[in-house]
Amino acid sequence: MEQSDRELVKQCQGGEMSAFQELVSRYHQKVYSVSLGLLRNREDALEAAQETFFRAYRKINSFQGGSSFYTWIYRIAVNISIDTQRRQKRNPLDFRASMDGVLEAQNEVAKDPFADVHDRELREQLTQAINELTPDHKAVIVLRTIEGMSYKDISQVLGCSEGTVMSRLHYARKKLQDKLSVFL
Amino acid sequence: MTNCESIRELIGSWLDGELNSAESDSVRAHVAGCPACGELRRQLEKLHLALKDDLTAEATRLEFMPFWRAVQQRITQKRAWHEDLRDWCRDFFTAPRIAWSVPVAIALVLALVSLEAYVPGWRSGGARNNFAAVDSIDAYGHSVALLRENESRTTVIWLYQDQEGENEAAEDTKTSGPAF
Repeated sequence: MEQSDRELVKQCQGGEMSAFQELVSRYHQKVYSVSLGLLRNREDALEAAQETFFRAYRKINSFQGGSSFYTWIYRIAVNISIDTQRRQKRNPLDFRASMDGVLEAQNEVAKDPFADVHDRELREQLTQAINELTPDHKAVIVLRTIEGMSYKDISQVLGCSEGTVMSRLHYARKKLQDKLSVFL
Repeated sequence: MTNCESIRELIGSWLDGELNSAESDSVRAHVAGCPACGELRRQLEKLHLALKDDLTAEATRLEFMPFWRAVQQRITQKRAWHEDLRDWCRDFFTAPRIAWSVPVAIALVLALVSLEAYVPGWRSGGARNNFAAVDSIDAYGHSVALLRENESRTTVIWLYQDQEGENEAAEDTKTSGPAF
């Protein structure tokens, strides 16, 4: 029977490394997705995801269980990613170049060859449109899309009200929709 | 048209399942009968799928073991002190704390400034405040000096005849004398 996150956290707080390993295996892809969505760069996203779990390990004893483990770990991931983004301030060309590999890899596994060109253009435009969002707007879109998180959980992760989440999502979607109207 | 505007603001939340039942019913009924809002719904759904595909496709190829080894390495290796300090600062100086620090700093400055009114002499460590203001008024050789001391709230009024005024008075007498 699979242990719950809470049980694993308790074991972790007792010093069991295997419990932490299990938590990492459950969330590493999702945390990486969040970082990649915010940073749009493979290496930076990988670095941010690893740093997220490192910090979670160091702070695991301060985790009281007031929120769920996944909102807690996402909060760390979002903070690290936004912080990384603000520090680096990459220019748009760097973003595009760094996402080219991701786009190519996605095209390799595309199953419908007739949709390839359209999809590739859509992804390129999507990448550009996401990059033009502010970190706060990017964060709500990424959290909602990847995990399907509720507004309440997103508000806990970002430390804002549910109303703010709702308005940021509305604004971010409107921006993306305007930029991608040709493809939608 | 106004209704369309207000409904459009809610379509995203409706698709997210975040509206209450009354709002959901209202949006559903409108979208079913309005081609423009129906089109917006279709676009939002397509946008969601494109975003999901874009954000999750890459992550599914991330292998666990190399990732775990890198995390383990970070945990076991000793970090430089400045990295620890940077982490501590990042945790400590969070946005809410920085936002609170501004009004707190202003309140502290105001408290320090107004403290003088309630605790006179606190800045000089209780030493006697020797500040005094002297105003003088000349009046035909006579002067009035006011000496005010704030600490004891004492005012001394000092009447005297200054030398200069005396001389002027004497000169006046001298010059006016021979006229007769």
